Amino acid sequence: MGYDERLYPQIEQVASMDNTDESLIAAYCQGDKTAFGEIVRRYADSMLGYLTRMSRDREEAQDLFQETFKRVHEKAHTFGGGTFKNWLFAIATNVAIDGLRRRKRLRLVSLNQPVDCPGSDEEFGTVVAADNRCNPYDQAIKAEQAEQVKQAIELLPDRQRATLILAYYEQLSYQQVAEALGCSIGTVRTQMFRALRKLADRLPDIGQGVE
Amino acid sequence: MKGHLTKGQLIQYQFKLVSDSYLEEIAGHLQACAECRRHLEQLRRKFAALDLLREDVQASQELISQVIEQAAEGPHVKRGAKYLEAVQTGFRKSAWIASAAAVFLVGVLFLAAYLSRHAPERPTDLAEREIAPGIAMEKKAPIIGEPGLLVAKPSEPGGYLAGLGGSVAHEAVMSEDAPFAPASAIELVTLPRRDNVQITIYNSADLTLARERRNLTLKKGWNWLQFMWANTLIDPTSLSLEPLQEADKIDVQQLVFPARLRELGRWLIRSEVSGRVPFEITYFTSGLSWRAFYMGTLSGDEKTMRLDGFVRVGNNSGEDYENAQTRLIVGKVHLLDQIAELAKRPYPYGMPMPLGGLRGYGAFGGETGAAVTNGEAEAGLGYLWGDIGGLRRREIRKEGLSEYFLYTIEGTETIPDKWGKRLLSFEAEDIAVKSLYKYDEERWSEQTIRFVSFSNDKKHNLGDTPIPNGTVKIYSQADEQGYLSYVGGTDIKYIPVDEEVELNLGPARLVSVEPILMDFKTDNYVFDGKKNVAGWDEVRTWKIEVTNTRTLPIEIEITRGFGTACWTLQLEDKDVSYEKYDATHARFKLTLEPRGKRAFEYTVTTYHGTREEVMAKR
Repeated sequence: MGYDERLYPQIEQVASMDNTDESLIAAYCQGDKTAFGEIVRRYADSMLGYLTRMSRDREEAQDLFQETFKRVHEKAHTFGGGTFKNWLFAIATNVAIDGLRRRKRLRLVSLNQPVDCPGSDEEFGTVVAADNRCNPYDQAIKAEQAEQVKQAIELLPDRQRATLILAYYEQLSYQQVAEALGCSIGTVRTQMFRALRKLADRLPDIGQGVE
Repeated sequence: MKGHLTKGQLIQYQFKLVSDSYLEEIAGHLQACAECRRHLEQLRRKFAALDLLREDVQASQELISQVIEQAAEGPHVKRGAKYLEAVQTGFRKSAWIASAAAVFLVGVLFLAAYLSRHAPERPTDLAEREIAPGIAMEKKAPIIGEPGLLVAKPSEPGGYLAGLGGSVAHEAVMSEDAPFAPASAIELVTLPRRDNVQITIYNSADLTLARERRNLTLKKGWNWLQFMWANTLIDPTSLSLEPLQEADKIDVQQLVFPARLRELGRWLIRSEVSGRVPFEITYFTSGLSWRAFYMGTLSGDEKTMRLDGFVRVGNNSGEDYENAQTRLIVGKVHLLDQIAELAKRPYPYGMPMPLGGLRGYGAFGGETGAAVTNGEAEAGLGYLWGDIGGLRRREIRKEGLSEYFLYTIEGTETIPDKWGKRLLSFEAEDIAVKSLYKYDEERWSEQTIRFVSFSNDKKHNLGDTPIPNGTVKIYSQADEQGYLSYVGGTDIKYIPVDEEVELNLGPARLVSVEPILMDFKTDNYVFDGKKNVAGWDEVRTWKIEVTNTRTLPIEIEITRGFGTACWTLQLEDKDVSYEKYDATHARFKLTLEPRGKRAFEYTVTTYHGTREEVMAKR
């Protein structure tokens, strides 16, 4: 008994369809539940990285991560073409900004929470510290500088921060950022310029040590 | 393009934020203008700092699986995002539903107001019974029970929530009878932020004494102060409140823990004055810890060392400490209960009776979970309690407290919850050190171990204070540019003043010792009456080769063991000295030149059996 050769072209066809995000989301809408898992795995790291930078808190980022994919799951049928990645980041940005607003709202009712006190986020410092174990001076300085950078980014308004993170850290083109944020490319450039102007005054000079 | 480029233009150029033609124009200017190029370079360096946060975040398999399962299950959210659902999707989905709900709510409020005006008054106890547990305060005292406050709290890690109750409405004639807390008409006044906070951390136990100073606005009469410690590790039984001024006119009468309300307490304060009064709130908490560590940098010739002492303070207490003066205690505290366990109790009742140590210290006198025994309290905590004005100190202070030692870190530090912070404790330059290499096969096998020793005394630019136990890492100057190379590290124990310390820096690869057995014979046999061997001598000749591949001269100690207390040793080399280290060991000392190699021989005779007795008699 030989193989049924018709199987091979079918497998090939499915594999080639799986290569694009758009085909995956289309497959998911048609009932292929495994396609959603593939989407989540494909974007898990970059999405969590984006949300961690947006929220400055790993725990909260994980909640936002879940919320983002929950919305993808719920709204998959509304995906109307275009680039899936941009659509996904648009959802994530909305979720993150909503989350940040909610957090700010909650902060208002706290009677003695220090408003200017940074949140509990130790990922960045930990990573920097792990990078340079050989010299404690460098380690301490880098950790301080990373903290300064983090605070400088935290102080940016939500939209400017989202623009900066998408364009600089996620390396989306300005056009892609515009699609993700649902605005024009001119707006993206303006937001980016304002963010960078502020950062230019607040960022530490990494050529020099920290006092 | 006239003049120099502005910072904005440089940013636009660097990040390509303008049209291609304008970018070309700027590029043309940069080609011709060295100063603008320099400014651009500075700007690039500045923005390079952004890369410090360019980390690789990896989503865990667990998280990915949860999300996929969530989607498979349907619209439910399993983890964390419950609140999002309520706040975001719930209200967003249908604006008209929200509008209808608002109209309905207004109607209900009107109806409630109408009924409350017209309904006959009912006895309080009846009202209490009819109100569901947990919301009694909302009905009786709407402001304290404001759902927003209570709902918001769990999402705020750390930071207890406190509100100051205004006076009970008896201002004209001050009642002598204390009002019953839940029945009082409580006005909410926002508690001001801390003016000062001081934390004293004991490293031997999970115990921290927090003292904070706040200016509270009191009204004449009875005042309520509410204190909540949800999500923190504060020991509620240790709470104490004392006015720092007008103490004779302000009486903190009691601290009550209302039934059915968890993790909050209310102080009842009777005041004869109105206005702002500074108060001090003190309590014990757990979750804060500290450890000392040191960094020593040896000079190029390794004769002196710079020693930097650091303290790392970690905060897992659930509370942010902002601009806190930090004091650290070295010494042992004996606890009756672990503070963390006490803090987890929903109601602070039934605590063990205190021992004498803390008697007479406000709220501690009644019930405390952190009693200190054996008079240690008077030595340690008593001192701390007594020094209310201590918040003004800014310099480094290190004081002996009987068996304790108190370190005060200079200035103030903000230590948010879940954060750790490294603080500089002391710096000492030019500490004379002695480097010594040791070789002892019985202790370190065939490795040569490097030691650095110094004394904690004035002669060595130290000696102001004992040095707490911690980890020491030693570096040496690797070149003239000041680059350091790691030499070794070790843990040190508490070093009292005037005590010498020897740091074991681990194996030294550049100094080697190789003992070679050159000759072995037995001699001087003694036989007993049955012609059996009753005693003999063993004679061994050893050659010890020592190699120093370092560019510095070294001193080395070589310890040799003979397995018996009865031995004699002959050493031919006059440049090498030895001493009998103990009954069974001899220790050789020698100095080697940089990149030097030398060998010496010795012959050791060990005596066995009856020969041992003969030699002992000699």
